[in-house]
Amino acid sequence: MSKIANRPDWADDDEFDDPNALPPQTVTTNKDGTKTVISYRFDDSGKRIKTTRRIRTTIKKETVNPRVAERRAWSKFGLEKGHAAGPSFDTTSVGENIIFRPSVTWKKDGKEEKKVGDDPKEKLKNMKVKCRICDGEHFTARCPFKGTMAPMGEDGAGGAGAGATADGSDDGQPKEGGLGTGGGGYVPPHLRKGAAGAGERMGGKYERDDLATLRVTNVSEFAEENDLREIFERFGRVNRVFLAKDRETQRAKGFAFISFQERSDAAKACEKIDGYGYGHLILRVEFAKRAT
Amino acid sequence: MRPILLQGHERSLTQIKYTKDGDILFSCAKDQVICAWFSANGERLGTYHGHQGALWTVDIDPSTTLLASGAADNTVRLWDIRTGKCVKVWNFDTAVKRVDFNEDGTRLLAVTEKRMGFLGTIVVLDVIVDVEAEQSDEKALVITCDESKATVAAWSYLSRYIIAGHEDGSVSQYDGKTGELIYNSPAHEEGMQVTDLQMSSDRTYFITASKDKSAKLHSSRDLTLLKTYLSDTPLNTAAITPKKPFVILGGGQAAMDVTTTGARQGKFEARFYHKVFEDEIGRVKGHFGPLNTVAVDPLGRGYASGGEDGYVRVHAFDRGYFDFGYEVEREVGGAGAGGY
Repeated sequence: MSKIANRPDWADDDEFDDPNALPPQTVTTNKDGTKTVISYRFDDSGKRIKTTRRIRTTIKKETVNPRVAERRAWSKFGLEKGHAAGPSFDTTSVGENIIFRPSVTWKKDGKEEKKVGDDPKEKLKNMKVKCRICDGEHFTARCPFKGTMAPMGEDGAGGAGAGATADGSDDGQPKEGGLGTGGGGYVPPHLRKGAAGAGERMGGKYERDDLATLRVTNVSEFAEENDLREIFERFGRVNRVFLAKDRETQRAKGFAFISFQERSDAAKACEKIDGYGYGHLILRVEFAKRAT
Repeated sequence: MRPILLQGHERSLTQIKYTKDGDILFSCAKDQVICAWFSANGERLGTYHGHQGALWTVDIDPSTTLLASGAADNTVRLWDIRTGKCVKVWNFDTAVKRVDFNEDGTRLLAVTEKRMGFLGTIVVLDVIVDVEAEQSDEKALVITCDESKATVAAWSYLSRYIIAGHEDGSVSQYDGKTGELIYNSPAHEEGMQVTDLQMSSDRTYFITASKDKSAKLHSSRDLTLLKTYLSDTPLNTAAITPKKPFVILGGGQAAMDVTTTGARQGKFEARFYHKVFEDEIGRVKGHFGPLNTVAVDPLGRGYASGGEDGYVRVHAFDRGYFDFGYEVEREVGGAGAGGY
């Protein structure tokens, strides 16, 4: 087949003196020892492209152990018998670049890196438990004065926050507790002082992290929740992965929601994964719109 | 540094070894084939076929003429490195777990497994370093390990001693000529197998790796414990780097335990320790499974590691590695630690 294809067809003969034919490559030696190579080619749209390259040849001498040099010339044997010199692609490949810098403080550096991606458990460790009734260091439910004393907020003692909130977080919303101070009757938990945020909205426990939730569309039919989790987990802590599945066939319907712990992680993931090829499809990632 | 990945094996690697000039790397795995690679570019020179069982070990004579290999088919074979032909087969009663040439390549030791009623032995064979020569069938020396079988062994300087590591964690020294046991010292924790033993370039001291999560440096002359390197995972291999005073340890969970723990907890990294100060100075990631074997280029230019995942990764050290030195080293030596 190829032989016939390579032989010039008589019908194409006149093309040889075609003005469109490419001029031959020219090589000129310059005064400063460099070479200029000018070559021509056609690009995809049929335009003629002239390429000028200047090449400087430097001779670098390297001393090689004669025994090693001799072995380099050995012919191959076994499974490699008859193969050409040079590494073959099916056995040899180059890995990704590894940065290896020995250092005395290697262990310490590694730990600091871990701290940056703060662990929620670590955060909790430093948190102090404060009783809402007597301000002591125990949970409200275990307070010895439970039932005998009114919670601190009730008589306007102010200042103190609830159960396990980090200090400072309740300073921002002093007004909320104010609602409960008036009557002295029953105050629903979400209106009590310091019950910041969490009880404000009704709805599923996921609703509040809407801000850090991504909607992923164009997901392959054969995707699994775990695969998605793996893809997104590298950007930060993933709270929830929801992959819509057909009830009968158990195949993915083509969209998924990923809730992150932090909105910044979500933003990063949104930027990076949008357009990422997964399965045989290209993922589309955007922030989820709040269901209203 | 960009590692070169070598995919010549279908099963887990068991040992890799550089030639004395560091130009060719030999690798053997449980898939019965030995591969020879040029360490500079990862090109495969050839393969050696003939073994009928999993290969456990290879070694190269110092002149890079002959290659010895030991396998689970109860044989030690000698190969012509250049052509890939097998020139001699020695038969044993049980599998051969370790072979090692002495400094001039005239004697070869082989460690045989304890199995089927046979005790573990260390056998010494006389070798003529010539491809054409008729090799003797005679076993020059047989050392029987009746207490705990030897798992690894190596020749000391001037072939004076044979140093062996045992299944019970002890290290012993035998006379190289008579085979007499001179010392036996409990180097590692009781019952924790010695998994690797590699000599320094002058063979005056050696490093042992063990399942007890530590590697230790001993002197060849009287087995004095010189240094201890502690890690957090069972170790399969340890090597001493020439040129720079480091040691490289490799390990990771046993392959059978991998599925029962998280993937990130695998600890499949090569760990670098400072040879003198015993501090860990860095790790190199890359393998998907535990590291079974690590070998260092005798010229100190790089190292290679072989893993349970069937890959060999060849690394060439870059500047950061050669420039590194402790404050003290810089003050004393000026040029880092060139003298090691």
